[in-house]
Amino acid sequence: MSEMWINMGPQHPMTHGLWNLRVKIDGEMILDVDPEMGYLHRGIEKISEDRHYNEVITLMDRCCYVAGFSWEHLYILGAEEALHVEPPERAEYLRVLCDEFQRIGSHLMWYAAFVQDIGLMSPFLYGMRDRDLVLDLFQSYTGARMTYEYMRVGGVRNDVPPGFTDSARKVLDWLTARFPEYDQLCLGSTIFRERCDELGILKAADCVKHGVTGPMLRSAGVKRDLRKDRPYSAYDRLEFDVAVADAADVTARYLVRMEEMRQSVRILRQVLDWLDRHPGPVLADHLPRWLGAPYAPIGNEGYLLKRNYPKGVGFSAIEEPHGEALAYVVNDGGEHPYRVKFRSPVFANISAARQYLVGYHVADIPPIMGSVDVCVGEVDR
Amino acid sequence: MTTPAAQTSAAKPAGAEPYRLEGELPMATQAAVPFIEIETLRAREFIPAAREALSSLIAEQGQAKVIRPVFNWAGRNSLFPLHWGLACCAIEFAAAFGARWDAERFGVVPRSSPRQCDLMIVNGTVTWKVAHKLITLYEQMPEPKWVIAMGNCATGGGPFRTAYSVVPGVDKLVPVDVYIAGCPPRPEAMLDGILKLEELIRERKE
Amino acid sequence: MQPDDITRALGPKLGDGLLSVEPFEGTAGRVRFRPESALALFEAVRDDLRFAHCATVGGIDWVDHREVFYVLWSDEAGQYLFLSADVPADAPHIESAASVWPSANWHEREAWELVGITFDHHPDLRHLLMPDGYVFHPLLRSFKLHEPESLEVKSRHV
Repeated sequence: MSEMWINMGPQHPMTHGLWNLRVKIDGEMILDVDPEMGYLHRGIEKISEDRHYNEVITLMDRCCYVAGFSWEHLYILGAEEALHVEPPERAEYLRVLCDEFQRIGSHLMWYAAFVQDIGLMSPFLYGMRDRDLVLDLFQSYTGARMTYEYMRVGGVRNDVPPGFTDSARKVLDWLTARFPEYDQLCLGSTIFRERCDELGILKAADCVKHGVTGPMLRSAGVKRDLRKDRPYSAYDRLEFDVAVADAADVTARYLVRMEEMRQSVRILRQVLDWLDRHPGPVLADHLPRWLGAPYAPIGNEGYLLKRNYPKGVGFSAIEEPHGEALAYVVNDGGEHPYRVKFRSPVFANISAARQYLVGYHVADIPPIMGSVDVCVGEVDR
Repeated sequence: MTTPAAQTSAAKPAGAEPYRLEGELPMATQAAVPFIEIETLRAREFIPAAREALSSLIAEQGQAKVIRPVFNWAGRNSLFPLHWGLACCAIEFAAAFGARWDAERFGVVPRSSPRQCDLMIVNGTVTWKVAHKLITLYEQMPEPKWVIAMGNCATGGGPFRTAYSVVPGVDKLVPVDVYIAGCPPRPEAMLDGILKLEELIRERKE
Repeated sequence: MQPDDITRALGPKLGDGLLSVEPFEGTAGRVRFRPESALALFEAVRDDLRFAHCATVGGIDWVDHREVFYVLWSDEAGQYLFLSADVPADAPHIESAASVWPSANWHEREAWELVGITFDHHPDLRHLLMPDGYVFHPLLRSFKLHEPESLEVKSRHV
């Protein structure tokens, strides 16, 4: 009987970022865990208080670096509610386009990193190859691969270039043909099944109790998806299913994410068709000038509004690739937000680590934590 | 150890020419050494050929004068960076090892243990909480070692330089050899930084 | 669920502890309550109104007082609910919700660390994001950010 605490992190191949999993072990058995976060705490909520509303978008891209668009969208929805601004309809569809491509990109990044942890090398190469195709699309209309600064309070910065929808459809066709390949590589591999089946089980009741959301919750059979339950942007006008699995183990999380990518493709085809048929403005008219939006009418109106802008609070909730993300933006009438509070899904998912790690072996930690899809940027913010 | 300047510049290969090992070695006369063309050499022929070339060189010029360029040549073509991800740049760091850019063709292979590494790529924002762990990792790496500050955060704090928890530039903690601009730098920029570092190693004297 | 339904369900149990229920954009409402009756309110909201999922806990520094807010979600109602309490700035403390919703544990640690609100009877109130021994609460309005000093280049190859 010899118990001891060991550190897995902050520099450890399992962590995929900067955090420290303190594990209490007896031999190979995990007795207790204590995740230690904060190695990437950059004070985004504090810096936001010193910035104009549109300047916060820069921080949002870096907040969760694998899902920059989702976090931009989250903040923008909150800020628009706080500032009483309505985006045009085409901008809403463009945001959904960004969101869903981002979901595919994020899940592919997860696929590449997670399956490599289990010991299969080629999925990393396939995942990164196909993610680069998605990033190429982003690059064609935002100019950046990961940090976009594309959405604005009142719409988006610019429209997609001509011919974009065709190239996007080509990427979707390519991805649709690749999904069976991914499944074959993983589900058809004995190594994968032996290491992942009946591992890291977290049942639905525990998920709800400990605030776990996203693919982890849906893999336990709970059909909660904010895109369906509390539709934002254009999601109430689009058809898709919520991916659910029952087993609540690592394989179930894999299945949920794979199905989500297929559903994203389905949503994206509808969005691309809509974009083809409905040209229009992408940024609201008559935005106050101090919002700093490009192409906004410039006049004395902006400066009048700066002094007398109505106070307000904004609350937004979106289904990020990792789960339920919330933003709470308080506008006290000034040019900077008074307070911005974000709720990160991974933050809650890691806080429940004790529930799904204790009782397994040390060698099970990489697959289990891989299936959580940790993005430290949004946990520490 | 130093080499006469004239010899070094004369021996430098021009850009378009095929890369030759003999161009790197400080030689008095070219005729004394068998010619090695690395590009046409097969892997199993390499070691005997190199051994032959080196032993004749050492016999002619002495050990001290010959070994350093060989070490530099070997070191810069097999840089092992520490495998860790700080922030956004870590994703581009990973993308550089993906199928499209394949950084491993430059001999860059990430290792998870600092004891096996000679290059630390600081790919992201460094906070004060991780600062002493970064220094520990740096000190655990065996000499000779190099540091690349990848991205604006590692270079000078980036968009977070005013934050209360962020180190405004990793050069406050460890000596940095190459800075890469970008937020985050594209994988090409990261590869360019590594090639710049290889040039630095090529000139290394002590 | 409307604010009136919430008043009807919570009013008899809490009495004075419930200050008001106001409509709040896109949610079931915002419940303002006295910090003294926090635990009774949490249990009533979880058991009677069936808000089983505590999404987040946060704090706002309004200089003269501080606000603690809780965001909850109910699968049955398909709605969010805000709870909000004002605590004095000189002794900011409130009962911990971690015994009612275990997920509040880390969110309360973060709120204590960043906004300086003490959660009584919290199982594990220690630093989460900042290193141990950090004495400031950065999200207070009195905590000012400043530009760091000019950089001193320490490269070996200048």
